[in-house]
Amino acid sequence: MLVHYIDLSWRSFKRTPLVSFLMVLAIAIGIGITMTSLSVYHMMSADPIPHKSSQLFSVQLQIMDDGSTWWTSDNQPLQLTYQDAANLYQSQVGAQRLKMVRSGFSVYIDSDKVKPFSQSARLTTPEFFNMFDLEFLHGSKWSQQQEDNAAPVVVISEELNNKLFAGKNSVGQVIYLDDASYEVIGVTKNWPLTIKYYDLNNGAFNQPEQLFMPFSLLEAKQLGNWGNTNGWKHEDVRSFTAKLQSEMVWIQFWVELKTEQQKNDYENYLLAYMQEQQKLGRFNRKELAFGLRDVNQWMAYNNVVSEDNKILVALSFMFLAVCLANILGLLLAKFLRRAPEVGVRRALGANKRQIFMQHIIEVAMLGLLGGLLGIVFAQFGLLGVRQSYSYYESLATMDLSMLLSAPLIAISTCVIAGLYPAWLVCKTNPAIYLKSQ
Amino acid sequence: MILEIKPIFHALCRSKVGAILLLIQIAITTAIVSNAAFIIQDRVTYLNQETGYPEDEILAFHVMHFGKDVQSHQQFELDEAMLRALPGVKDAIYINNIPLSGSGSSSDFSINSAPEPGLSARTAYFFTDDHAINTLGVELVAGRNFTQDEIVVTNDNDQRANATIVTQALLNELFPDEEGLGKTIFLGDIPLKVVGVIKHAKGPWLKDSRPNNIALIPYINPNISGNFLVRTASNERADIAKQIEDAMLKNYNKRVIIRIRGLDQDKAQYMAEDTLMMRMLVVLITILLLVTALGIFGLTLFNINKRTKQIGTRRALGARKSAIVNYFLAENALICIAGLVLGVIAALILGQLLMQHFSIAALPLGYVVATAIMVFIMSLLAVFGPAKRAANISPSIATRTI
Repeated sequence: MLVHYIDLSWRSFKRTPLVSFLMVLAIAIGIGITMTSLSVYHMMSADPIPHKSSQLFSVQLQIMDDGSTWWTSDNQPLQLTYQDAANLYQSQVGAQRLKMVRSGFSVYIDSDKVKPFSQSARLTTPEFFNMFDLEFLHGSKWSQQQEDNAAPVVVISEELNNKLFAGKNSVGQVIYLDDASYEVIGVTKNWPLTIKYYDLNNGAFNQPEQLFMPFSLLEAKQLGNWGNTNGWKHEDVRSFTAKLQSEMVWIQFWVELKTEQQKNDYENYLLAYMQEQQKLGRFNRKELAFGLRDVNQWMAYNNVVSEDNKILVALSFMFLAVCLANILGLLLAKFLRRAPEVGVRRALGANKRQIFMQHIIEVAMLGLLGGLLGIVFAQFGLLGVRQSYSYYESLATMDLSMLLSAPLIAISTCVIAGLYPAWLVCKTNPAIYLKSQ
Repeated sequence: MILEIKPIFHALCRSKVGAILLLIQIAITTAIVSNAAFIIQDRVTYLNQETGYPEDEILAFHVMHFGKDVQSHQQFELDEAMLRALPGVKDAIYINNIPLSGSGSSSDFSINSAPEPGLSARTAYFFTDDHAINTLGVELVAGRNFTQDEIVVTNDNDQRANATIVTQALLNELFPDEEGLGKTIFLGDIPLKVVGVIKHAKGPWLKDSRPNNIALIPYINPNISGNFLVRTASNERADIAKQIEDAMLKNYNKRVIIRIRGLDQDKAQYMAEDTLMMRMLVVLITILLLVTALGIFGLTLFNINKRTKQIGTRRALGARKSAIVNYFLAENALICIAGLVLGVIAALILGQLLMQHFSIAALPLGYVVATAIMVFIMSLLAVFGPAKRAANISPSIATRTI
């Protein structure tokens, strides 16, 4: 029966090609516009690490005195002071924890083939690779002992390994970062991230760093911060040591908490820590506050999906509604003109339900065609987005789920539009049309 | 015309669905277009704002030293001299941060020395020298440029500068009732005497809460990296850009020269998201208006086909062609006005929602009214063609068939 209905709808399509084409075009335009904005939204809000996004937590401490303000929704700074990060890391509370900061270097090797270039680096503790699921192509991460001793070692990315060592196993090789030499101890596999969720400060859609090094090198080599350093009160900071002891916030801290119990314990620990610090004259506040947000909460808190994008999604669904009204009008015209034919079919024994189904399948076929054409339109839309803003390069694309939802949205839109006309046409009284002929 | 409204209304009541569909389309279109137009206008103003710089004449680039056999502050002085001597270069400076780039330093500048409280204003500051005014192409409206003995070139963090040139906007905020030129303002506990006033210039962040508060400080104390700005004639800029890396490396080669670009490119990069939003909205409302116009056009054609006999009969009974055209125009106007009333309400509600949930200002009524008028004219134009066709239906049609 279904095949018969599909055949009927194809005949109907051919009989009124212009109206049918207009309907397909209307739905395709609607889907094209909607899918363009929806795809960008989808990529921006997608969970970057689904299997453990609810176990990784970014830690914030309300370090500022009462009366000081920040630009976040709950007035808390996004990063920690150096000393707080050091204390929380040392405590060993939580399943795993890491502290980190973004830095960067001039990179070169003992070869004239590679011109010195600039590269950002992540100074972090060895838990980073486990917590954020980085895999190794060669070698491994640094040991806790190397971390403690500020060993001059570095893990590089596959891409950087290709650039510096033409893709050969470079473990044991030496590279120069600024004026010092470092031993390569590991090469990580490609880490494709559309959202740099572990550090959203300097562009949420930037690529991950390609150099990973022990956090302790920060102090040992007095390295500069390539991320944000924010002060909130007047402090006379003239030397690196003064910066490490200051109340400026510039270190990022993540903790892995596998159970609700661990999370509760960690919350209690943070409060106890701040109370402890209050005895030293820090955290001058009536009410202590902290932030413990998992990956998805952290992305929402940092407004990873821009307002503009949300507005565009809303407007494009309204646009789709206009298209729906258009299709409904055209379907009415098309179906009602067919009333005599339906009359004959009814007289020959087709019941109302069959007539109704036949027409719904016809509009669903229109929806399918419109959805497919809409995907083509959306590809042009996304191409335009990519060309207008290269930063959206990896975001303005349709993944499988979006490719599948395009025809789905198109078909449901069309079926909604087709309900009324189909119902109208199946009410046709066969007698009238038999009489007039 | 007035008399016709009653029969038109009755006729409409007999084909409600078509009219309602048209009404909904017009209402939603009005709501979307007026809000989108307002956002577009807002972005256009933002994108075309005056930055105070001749952006197409300025090149920016970043330098990172990895050799330790020179002192950056001395090397950068030599580089400045070399760049200024390049043929085609009008002027050049070292500067700690690049205006319009989205990356910079800011602090609260106060009229009292920290920690004493006092009136303060968020300010972006630039460390540079006396060539900044000329290189940036900003206009000094009062006071003077830095003198040579005010410029501090050092690698000692305990040495401080003591002068500053600021924008009029900053001075107005710190000294609302008095002349600020000659006064001393404080960056933390560092006193800086205001020696000159710039008419207008933007800081590193165009979206800052105080984008116009700028202070230039004659202090050159770079660590291992720094930025340079080079001013040229706009048509020679591309040529100069090609020479910069080689010229800089020839001066000293244990370093990396990156991100050589025009100031206008930096600005475009910073604004890219808003440019994109504006373009997408323009595309959206253009297609939307087209779809709506086609919808009206199609529906009128359909109505006319359905009423061929009725029209023929009317013509046979003596109605003029103009009466038929007027009939359809009036019918459309009736639906359109009802749709616009709904649309204006919907537009205002949508505007309210956007204002509540996003940082978008209240939708001015003017945008809604202008959109409504435009949609009305557009719908009349869309109907005019089919109505003319209807008027040409021959009276004989009515008599030919039953």
